[in-house]
Amino acid sequence: MVFSSDARWEMVDEITRQTVTYGTYKQTLGAVLGDLTVKPLTGIPVAVAALYAFWSVFTSFAGELVTDGFMVKFFDGLWLPWFQAIWPDPGSWHYFLFIGNPAADTCFEAFGMLTSGLFVSVGVVLPAVFVFYLMMTLLEDSGYLPRLAVLMDTVLHRIGLHGYAIVPIILGLGCNVPAVTATRILETKKQRFIMMTLLAIFIPCGAQLGIMMSIIPDLIGVVILCLIIGFGIFGFVLNKIIPGENPEILVDVPPYNWPVKEYVIKKLWNRTKGFLKEAVPFVLLGILLVNLLYLGGVIQGLANLFEPVFVTWFGVPKETVGPLIAAFLRKDLAIAQLSIIPMTAYQMVASVVLVTIYFPCVATFVVMLREGWKELIAAIAVLFVVVFIYGGLIHAVGILLGVA
Amino acid sequence: MEHVDMKQENDRKITPLGFYFALLGLATLLFGMADILVWAGIRPGIEVGILEIAGDDFFRWAWGGFVMVCAGIFMLAGSARVETLQQSAKVVLGGVLVWVIAGTDIFARLCVAIPAGEASPAFLNSCSGFLTEFAPPYTPAMLLIPFTLGIVYLIRMHANDDS
Amino acid sequence: MTGGKTEMAVLVPERGTTVLMIGNPNVGKSALFNRITGANAIVSNYPGTTVDFTSGTFIGGGRTYTIIDVPGTYSLDPRDAAEEVAVRMLRDYPDAVVMIVLDATKTDRGLYVALEVMERGMPCIVAVNMMDAAHEKKISLDIAALQRILGVPVVATTATSGEGVRDLADMLRKAKVADIGAIAQRMRGEEPEREPAFTCGGCGGCGGR
Repeated sequence: MVFSSDARWEMVDEITRQTVTYGTYKQTLGAVLGDLTVKPLTGIPVAVAALYAFWSVFTSFAGELVTDGFMVKFFDGLWLPWFQAIWPDPGSWHYFLFIGNPAADTCFEAFGMLTSGLFVSVGVVLPAVFVFYLMMTLLEDSGYLPRLAVLMDTVLHRIGLHGYAIVPIILGLGCNVPAVTATRILETKKQRFIMMTLLAIFIPCGAQLGIMMSIIPDLIGVVILCLIIGFGIFGFVLNKIIPGENPEILVDVPPYNWPVKEYVIKKLWNRTKGFLKEAVPFVLLGILLVNLLYLGGVIQGLANLFEPVFVTWFGVPKETVGPLIAAFLRKDLAIAQLSIIPMTAYQMVASVVLVTIYFPCVATFVVMLREGWKELIAAIAVLFVVVFIYGGLIHAVGILLGVA
Repeated sequence: MEHVDMKQENDRKITPLGFYFALLGLATLLFGMADILVWAGIRPGIEVGILEIAGDDFFRWAWGGFVMVCAGIFMLAGSARVETLQQSAKVVLGGVLVWVIAGTDIFARLCVAIPAGEASPAFLNSCSGFLTEFAPPYTPAMLLIPFTLGIVYLIRMHANDDS
Repeated sequence: MTGGKTEMAVLVPERGTTVLMIGNPNVGKSALFNRITGANAIVSNYPGTTVDFTSGTFIGGGRTYTIIDVPGTYSLDPRDAAEEVAVRMLRDYPDAVVMIVLDATKTDRGLYVALEVMERGMPCIVAVNMMDAAHEKKISLDIAALQRILGVPVVATTATSGEGVRDLADMLRKAKVADIGAIAQRMRGEEPEREPAFTCGGCGGCGGR
């Protein structure tokens, strides 16, 4: 027996009438506060404050405490000198692969698999993603995320999305892999395509943010600004040129909850474990691969080949080719590699932005493939166009400002 | 509805409690503006007694200062007839924003205080070294904490009339 | 009594042993799922956390159940890719038992999809979750009456604290096909024949028989 939708609603009404009684509901302070976080006039300052707290705790914990306080001291003071002392034959190929530069003072400069590889993944990126995931979990479990969705609804409609797109964006700031899967909550193909493309291009993951914070603390604001502007511009353009609908959505706002401790711990553990299992081997392999390519002369060859594009169009040194190859495996690794190339502030910003936008890392690539190969190919086509245009645009702005 | 209430309660509009929160709101607002102005380079950094506005970094002073300004405005807006639920909520929200800024300031100090620092060969800071990190001067938000505890009274007041 | 693991592999359906958890987004399906199976599905306080299904096992009453946590849906006319998964799961497991999860504070919306599932003639059991939130909002639910009307076992649960989860798990074997015609009749005030003598307090133990 099948009913019409109206008949079903009638039955639902009747059942609720017979079974549910509503007591006198008194408004509580908590409920009023909850409303204030959704109304734009008070909600936007709260969102600004939440973002402030997020970033402040992130930099204090990952930057000041773990990386600068302990990891740098350990890796540069004990780990690196120890390896440099015991590994035989500083001129050999295996020394180059595993330890790197024999004259290096810091683990960033050495660039061997066992020195920089472990330092970048465990010393810099692990504390960053750990605290990032913790904050994100609290944001999710408290119920603030859907409220942020309500606030962002108008803005995101401009770029062909709606408030709920904030969920994949926030997840993407942790890691793009779950974010790509989370695009399933968007209704139309158009929305999913726009979201996935923008995620792959403009949203840096927690690991990237962590390494940027460690290497270019003064310039990270500029880099993020470049990414946000790019996100806005290309979202707007994609919305105009891609056919399809962008339906309105009624966001379902759940009540605020104190996060349940066990859930938070469980989720934090799962996410951190996932990072250890997948990211660390990739960073190590990435360094090995890049070093092998250096030894084989491949990177030097590619650098010479692409020199005109890099130097005249993007305004960055040709050595950036090496990091861009590493970026396919791990973007955090690529940014670490950029730090040892001598560059001006402009070149640093431009090359970090390029590394971030140029190609999704291999893990993101794989999940995007799972969501549909046609979309993936289209996304990559968009990506090449965007990298070319936006890279040139940043260069142009740099020239106009007189810094490039 | 709202209008009638206002006329009737007009003479009782500002209670001592409301006056307290209005003052607190004003102080927060001024501190927030000072944060931003010092960052913008009006003055190179203020240090008065145990209060310090370094203004050396965009994120802490301009962005954080903006949050403080909003917190002050919320408290001022809620201070008239503060006993009503709607108005109390504004004051509480303002207070929470101050806590957010002060809390991250304290957390930042804690994170700097635990490791020994670059010059020292040890990893962990000494006990006295740890404590000196918490010595004055303090940021405006940290100084405001004891005064914002008044919002705990508001929260308890409304928690009681709920049951 | 619980042993769970999360896996994405396609499972071979076996009559009466597969349980699909269906309900609106953010009603706590994943939290209930974790409680029952001891698995590690991701739980968050926002709709749309589960976008793919997760399965786990539960052993109770000498039977092994495969419990599948399905993405939340407002109706069986899918609106997005996550809701499509829910509809696909119902189609792929025609012999499954459906555990309908309702949010006690928003029963009406949940009942809509519950009726849609019941129309398909699948054996059902209803979990009214988030009883703590309903209590806080001074909403009271007559679980016994709901059970009498629907004619399938109804259990009140609070997944965050684990209240009622044991009852729910025990009730799985009592799941039965709802007689949608009889429900409609009861709603029109005409009691269908064989009106069950309802004398117990509605513990859910007998499914209203």
